[in-house]
Amino acid sequence: MNRNTNKFSSETMITVFFSKLLKINWIIILCLILLGLVGVASLYSAAGSDWNPWARNHLIRLIFGFCLMFFIAFIPSHFFMKYSVLSFILGVFALILVKIIGSGSVQRWISFGSINFQPSEIMKLALILILAKYFDHISKIQLNKLIPYIIPILIIMIPGFLVISQPDLGTGLTIILLGLSILFFVGISMKFVIFSILISISSIPFIWQQLYEYQKNRILIFLNPEMDSLGSGYQIIQSKIAIGSGGLFGKGYLLGTQSRLNYLPEKHTDFIFTLISEELGFLGSISIILVFCLLITSIMKISFKVESLFSKVVVFGIGFLIFLYLSLNIGMVCGLLPVVGAPLPLVSYGGTSLLTVLIGVGIVLSINIHDKKV
Amino acid sequence: MKNKSQKKLDQTVSRRFLFLSLFKGSIIGTIGWKLFDLQLVENRKYEKLSDNNQFNYRIIVPERGRILDRKMRLLAGNMDGFSLVLNWNKYLNVHQIIKNISKIIVLNEKDINNFYNKIRFQKNNFSKQILITKNLSQKDVAKLAVRIIEFPEISFSMSKRRVYPQGIIAGHITGYTGPYSKNVENTSLHGIDVGRRGLEKFFDTQLRGEFGRKRNEVTSKGYVIDSQIYENTKPGSDIQVSLDMKLQAFAVERLQRGNYDLAFVDNENIKNQISKLKNFSYVSNNQVYINKKKKVVNPQSGSLIVMDINNGEILCSVSSPGFDPNIFTKDLEVDDWNYVKNNSRSPLLNRSMAGVYPPGSTIKMAVALAALESGIIDYKTRFFCNGSKELGTSKFHCWAKDGHGNLNLMEAIEQSCDVFFYELGLKVGIDKIALMMKKLGLGQYYDIQIHDRAKGVVPNIKWKLKRDGLNWSLGETLNASIGQGYILTTPLQLVTMVSRIANGKFAVNPSLTISSENKKFKVLNINNEHLNFIKKAMEKVVVGKKGTAKNYKIGSKNIEMAGKTGTVQVVRITELEREQGLIKNEDRPWEKRDHALFVGYAPTINPKYAISVVVEHGGSGSSVAAPIARDVFKHLFKL
Repeated sequence: MNRNTNKFSSETMITVFFSKLLKINWIIILCLILLGLVGVASLYSAAGSDWNPWARNHLIRLIFGFCLMFFIAFIPSHFFMKYSVLSFILGVFALILVKIIGSGSVQRWISFGSINFQPSEIMKLALILILAKYFDHISKIQLNKLIPYIIPILIIMIPGFLVISQPDLGTGLTIILLGLSILFFVGISMKFVIFSILISISSIPFIWQQLYEYQKNRILIFLNPEMDSLGSGYQIIQSKIAIGSGGLFGKGYLLGTQSRLNYLPEKHTDFIFTLISEELGFLGSISIILVFCLLITSIMKISFKVESLFSKVVVFGIGFLIFLYLSLNIGMVCGLLPVVGAPLPLVSYGGTSLLTVLIGVGIVLSINIHDKKV
Repeated sequence: MKNKSQKKLDQTVSRRFLFLSLFKGSIIGTIGWKLFDLQLVENRKYEKLSDNNQFNYRIIVPERGRILDRKMRLLAGNMDGFSLVLNWNKYLNVHQIIKNISKIIVLNEKDINNFYNKIRFQKNNFSKQILITKNLSQKDVAKLAVRIIEFPEISFSMSKRRVYPQGIIAGHITGYTGPYSKNVENTSLHGIDVGRRGLEKFFDTQLRGEFGRKRNEVTSKGYVIDSQIYENTKPGSDIQVSLDMKLQAFAVERLQRGNYDLAFVDNENIKNQISKLKNFSYVSNNQVYINKKKKVVNPQSGSLIVMDINNGEILCSVSSPGFDPNIFTKDLEVDDWNYVKNNSRSPLLNRSMAGVYPPGSTIKMAVALAALESGIIDYKTRFFCNGSKELGTSKFHCWAKDGHGNLNLMEAIEQSCDVFFYELGLKVGIDKIALMMKKLGLGQYYDIQIHDRAKGVVPNIKWKLKRDGLNWSLGETLNASIGQGYILTTPLQLVTMVSRIANGKFAVNPSLTISSENKKFKVLNINNEHLNFIKKAMEKVVVGKKGTAKNYKIGSKNIEMAGKTGTVQVVRITELEREQGLIKNEDRPWEKRDHALFVGYAPTINPKYAISVVVEHGGSGSSVAAPIARDVFKHLFKL
């Protein structure tokens, strides 16, 4: 193994800092800044040309998040491997805590004073880290048998079901999908994959019975939005109207009628993409998707380049997480998926998903800096 | 150095990496395709839906044009009304609001029921203005206005209500307005009144003007944040009609009075009688009509038309019983509706134009003209009347039981001898009579400004064959010759017939509009000498010693009327009844009494106006209809 080790003795901190700075993938940073600013601009529009209540806060969170990201980027990557198990255990603990002391009828949040914190989001990162560590460790033994997959499946299912029982089906499924994609990535046998798909399809009726009424409704209404054009279907109908009426060039920045006249529900959080589509049209929405694609491919490229399996898995996992965020959110707003409550990271108002992505990208940058073929 | 398994793992990971990239690519591709589909392919559809969300168009109704009579008196106009509307959206507690409003003003129970019905039928939750009541008084407005801050959801709107100041006098002519259509779902036209009957219907487009549109920008909760005029309105234009409301008012009163007397409702006897009658109509609040036997009676039913014989303008057109069109522009009250709907005398029927009656003896001029024109008889031809005419086994009676003796055409018209006309009819034949009737305007529609009209019947051989598949019988010719049997005419046709005879040159057509230029009518094409002879005979009816209307001369030096009476049997009288002696008209039930008719014109020199009077089941034309005509002419010529 040829690991990049830090030799502080002959170099000053400053040169180390600058050498690390040079290794940072600036395309990723550029994409993040771009998306963040799109978010600020959209929230400014969503509030009816007002910095309050969202745009200003979002900008502050972005600045804080970027600082955090850079800080993490300079932490040596083996640090994450070291604390992955701890972070996972803390995460599970937080999820259990949320069940006990969580606020509201839907227990998703832990409040520290005025800051609300959603442990399920951070859990995604912890899951990636612990799975990466596990497979990095197990790869030295063997990965083509089925037995070593039992523990990771447990690792995935514990937080997965904890989150689903909050109840937050969207995030829960995201966690499970994320975990399974990592299993698939490290080479779980194709037969097993097909077998599990069959199992999960046949278990749909059982899962259906376990779902809450509102979750069942969401799925039914997704299948036929007109069924309830005033209730839950209203959201998706209005969202499609907004996107569709945008056309090629959109109605113009700040001029979206659907958003201005409050026909869009949750226009500042999960449905922010709708507002962008309405005001900036097809060109605008495709551009945003392309920026996301550039971000994801840049991260995937790093995953392809890095040497250790841990790094590969972590970077892949974070890239895939961003992909999941993107496809769930846009799939939801344009009617391809049921309304599950998935934010568009960096653009949607809401600190947790923003932090999750920025911390995640921080880890990616750190790996990019510290874990490379010499 | 990597070991074997490490290498294999690397390979697998690379393969899986590629596989997952493809997977992600396809997902992103699907999303891109969906956006393409929504934003470019189906853009139009969603743009429209978005517009529907954003804007809400309201029709602005222009002020409806007025209807004026020939002296610019108002027949139909508009009155300011205040409506109370609720700016409804689904978040409102409607019941609470209504309850609060009811504490301040009195709301009509019917209005409230209607209002709740409208709420119930709101299909979507998008905001709408829903009418609470149309009949808000100035006082109510003031009361609510000072507390309007407590009711942000309600607003007032000034609306125009159609009013007919002439009320019951000309209801059949003006007609009335009503909601666009009760079944139409199109809510943009909701609450817009259009002409439903009479002149209101015929001139609807002119009266209505052009709708404008207002475009409101509304939020999802229904608050209007911007409003602008989208299309301008064009007010409706006024219509002037040929009626003279003063004459009309007089005619209504005179026709309904007939030969009755006025009585005050002041004694128990009269009150008692009234309580036993169904659908009884008062003359005024405390007056009723009584007949010669002091019995309380309904006002006479029937029709009275006065027409200018030169240009066809109708000066008055009465149909009794009438109805008040104002009851339709308010919210129809049950009592009012029952009166017009269940009244056995059908007030809604415009008898002048849509009512058909056998013309009786008033047709005799047409039969005489047919005979003269065909050259079958001349002025000297005489027939003998002994009271009846036998044809085969049937016996056709003259109204004079003992007959008129030997008389010529002039005398036959003057005395209205039936037997003379039986003989005439037999000689001329039904087809020629029918042709003359058509020429004089019977059995046809006119181009008049009222949709609601009847054609009547002018029978001939072909008509009977076509209708019944039977041959025409001579007996039917006899009946037709005295205006009974199949023949049916409207009062409007009768007055037109007289107008054409009096005019002599042109086939005048009736019209309810005034035109400044001279109207062009077809040439009548009847020998003028013959016409003058008939006119002379019609004068004799009034001034002649034996004239059937000799008791009802105008009696002025310059102006006298000419005319013809008619008494129409509505039930067949059998031979047996005839032998036992006829029951007097007044003693029969109302429905079985004869119709009383009179047609005429005045003055006799240089005729100006023609008249037709029909008194349904009024008795004899000479004693009931003729005096009415005389009095109307007297009024018309200010004598």
